[in-house]
Amino acid sequence: MSKKKYDERVLAMTKQQHLVHYVLRTRFARKGAVSYIGHLDLMNLFGRTVRKSGLPILYSQGFNPRPEMVFALPLGVGIDTEGDYVDISMSVPIQPEEFVEKMTPLMPEGLSIVSVVYKDEPKNSLMSVVTMAEYAIKAPGITECVKKIMEMEVVEVEKKAKGKIVTNDIRPQLLELHEDASLPDCVEVLVKAGSTSNLRPESLLQACTRYAGLDPEDASNAGVTRLCLYGGEYPNIKRIEEFT
Amino acid sequence: MKKHIEVNISHADLMSVASPGRYVGGETNVIIKNEILNELRTNGYTSAVRVAFGFPDVYEIGMSNLAMQILYKVLNEPEWCSCERAFSPWPDMDKVMRDKNIPLYTLETKSPLNEFDVVCFSIGYEMAYTNVLQMLDLGGVPLKSADRTEEDPIVVCGGPVAYNIEPMADFFDAVFMGEGEEVDLELAQMVKEYKDSGKKDRQELLRKLASIEGVYVPSLYKDEYDLEGHFIALKPIEDGIPTIITKRIIKDLDGIPYPTEPVVPNMSTVHNRAYIELFRGCIRGCRFCQAGYIYRPVREKSAQVLCDNGIAIEKSTGYDELGLLSLSTSDYRGLPELTDGLLKAYEGHHTSLSLPSLRIDNFAMELMNKISSTRKSGITFAPEAGTQRLRDVINKGITEEDILKSVRMIFEGGWSTVKLYFMLGLPTETMDDVKGIADLAIKIEDLYYDIAREKDIKVRRPEITISTSLFIPKPFTAFQWEAQDSIESLGEKQRYLKSLIQRHKSIHYNWHGFETSVWEAVLARGDRRMAPVILDGYKQGCIFDAWDDMFKYETWLQVLADNGLTVDQFIGAIDVDAPLAWDHINIGVTRKFLALERKRAYEETVTPNCREKCAGCGAACFKTGVCYE
Repeated sequence: MSKKKYDERVLAMTKQQHLVHYVLRTRFARKGAVSYIGHLDLMNLFGRTVRKSGLPILYSQGFNPRPEMVFALPLGVGIDTEGDYVDISMSVPIQPEEFVEKMTPLMPEGLSIVSVVYKDEPKNSLMSVVTMAEYAIKAPGITECVKKIMEMEVVEVEKKAKGKIVTNDIRPQLLELHEDASLPDCVEVLVKAGSTSNLRPESLLQACTRYAGLDPEDASNAGVTRLCLYGGEYPNIKRIEEFT
Repeated sequence: MKKHIEVNISHADLMSVASPGRYVGGETNVIIKNEILNELRTNGYTSAVRVAFGFPDVYEIGMSNLAMQILYKVLNEPEWCSCERAFSPWPDMDKVMRDKNIPLYTLETKSPLNEFDVVCFSIGYEMAYTNVLQMLDLGGVPLKSADRTEEDPIVVCGGPVAYNIEPMADFFDAVFMGEGEEVDLELAQMVKEYKDSGKKDRQELLRKLASIEGVYVPSLYKDEYDLEGHFIALKPIEDGIPTIITKRIIKDLDGIPYPTEPVVPNMSTVHNRAYIELFRGCIRGCRFCQAGYIYRPVREKSAQVLCDNGIAIEKSTGYDELGLLSLSTSDYRGLPELTDGLLKAYEGHHTSLSLPSLRIDNFAMELMNKISSTRKSGITFAPEAGTQRLRDVINKGITEEDILKSVRMIFEGGWSTVKLYFMLGLPTETMDDVKGIADLAIKIEDLYYDIAREKDIKVRRPEITISTSLFIPKPFTAFQWEAQDSIESLGEKQRYLKSLIQRHKSIHYNWHGFETSVWEAVLARGDRRMAPVILDGYKQGCIFDAWDDMFKYETWLQVLADNGLTVDQFIGAIDVDAPLAWDHINIGVTRKFLALERKRAYEETVTPNCREKCAGCGAACFKTGVCYE
């Protein structure tokens, strides 16, 4: 591109007015086949579905425009969810009812919209809001194992990071075990999540096999469901919908 | 008849392999016939014909294959037929399945392959042969046609390799020659009758299948060789079996259903885009190109139908890119009308068009400026040969002037990345031709700096990439009789080319390994004696041969020698009058014409393209397309 042409283009882009994001904060669930794809694939899948709806989606600027979507927290391969969030931006205000009505019939098998709230230009990025996650983990005897782990003061697990094995203590990331909601073979836990401190369910399972006698085979077969994401500072738990 | 079972893969097994999304199905637009499934679940049996469509490579590649999407739709159309998909499990999953005795299953109903009435493969390249065996083996289907009984599926295949399927003759019950949209259903219909009458006589069914135009039943023919091991003939073993099998084509492409609701994978594949098919065949007639001959005559779809397809497919898939497929995009006469229509329909959607093999001219430049996504990516040229002499030999109707003119346009348009594709080892090639490759790249490099100076553009370093692949003599080309260049000679040419561009920092050189090309040539021109070789190779662990890091050349050479054969037998020059292992197949283009084209190649004479002047290749026998325009 010639210098002149390039300058013209930059000018056109800076002239463009700041686009208002009319956001639909969407809580979604996934299970079954669609749980076995990675986070990037899930984002693309959402993108295609929104595109099919014919709704006035806001696209990102630049050479490669994509639907403006922000996911609260990446979802690992093989993990189901009942309470993940995505902010989907529209170029004009769209009512949640209309959004749900247009999107629901298009949702791929296993992926569903749980609820939607409308947000006029959220001030905080959805990603920065998330601090905690609640998981249900199914494995034989898991609740006893997690109880044992919670009684420990230091819980070291190994994690591969950039080809090296790093040891870290996950105990501070374990917040609560919900006794009343848990069954012997299905535990519900509240853990730290988000960009500052994030406990991955695999790490907890690893700790259970290491320190609490969980069978490794059972650990790898464990079914993990993310029940919900939360914000706020523990023990002051806030729903994601509350944030502006 | 095997009773229906549903294969259940555990969460732990899925989590133990890479990309588990390959093995779970559940995609958008998938077709599951509930009545048939209910019948299977309650009775363990259905009277409908069930076809498992196998693609002998990994999921991401198979799901980018248009043939599979087309035939999936066609075979699911009738009430009495259903089609499901299966892919080659990657070695990690292959191991899990073998260790735990999990049969290869279809993604739709999770049924093992051996439960189906028909297992059908679409094979795009010879190197996928061992994966066919892997899929049959894991699916519980006896590998050899001769070992299958009334209990087993009918195993068929189609695709470009079908035209010389002799190396795989032992493994297929029937083979489709040509385009499958009609013939697939004709075969399914016969299988339906066979199933309705209680699957009594498999042999009788095979005989009947052989009577369908375009269907080849290998077991009904016997191969003969002379004492020196040259192929002499392939003859029917009984009366009433056709001696020549003529390929099938679709006369009117507008008249056949097109998959405007293709299955959209949940996970990323090789190309995350939808496709429309502009035309079949190619008017160009490059003498090395098998696709250029086997798909003749050229038949176009109308711009209106294509535009409607493009609009429907965007809506049903949500893809943000539409690929316009053909062997040579610029030869599509309705291109301006089509692209205008699509760009208008897509306005505000941020959907872009991908136009592979587009010749760069004023129209193309204008178009590329309208399609933002081509901005960053480079521009590719395929001169194939470095000198005009050799380009005339291969009938590549493109001159150096054409190339430089196009390159000038794209440099002036702001691009600085150019990819150039060449072939090494073409018939009559000399070191001068190899030098021509370097010369052309250097001229392009100089041109960039000239233009930068002329136009006062801030000088970046251009990126010019030369890629060389190796010439492989393929059946049904003008070069089907040619020898493949020796590894020693090719190595010398490669080193020479490398030395010529060494000092040019903006020119990069990519090359393709020799061994895979040699093996591909052996398979491409092989005869029935290759079948035991392929089987032995598979048993020794060869799969995914198309993947460079998985290809085991040493193992193949050993297996070939163990079977009393040599590489030279298959890659050496063949006498122009000698019988060929694929002589029983008629693609329309005559052997006489191919021999004439070979003669013209040696005379360095160019043959005009189909629209300039009919060369009388023989494809007019299909009474349609460019031959009757």
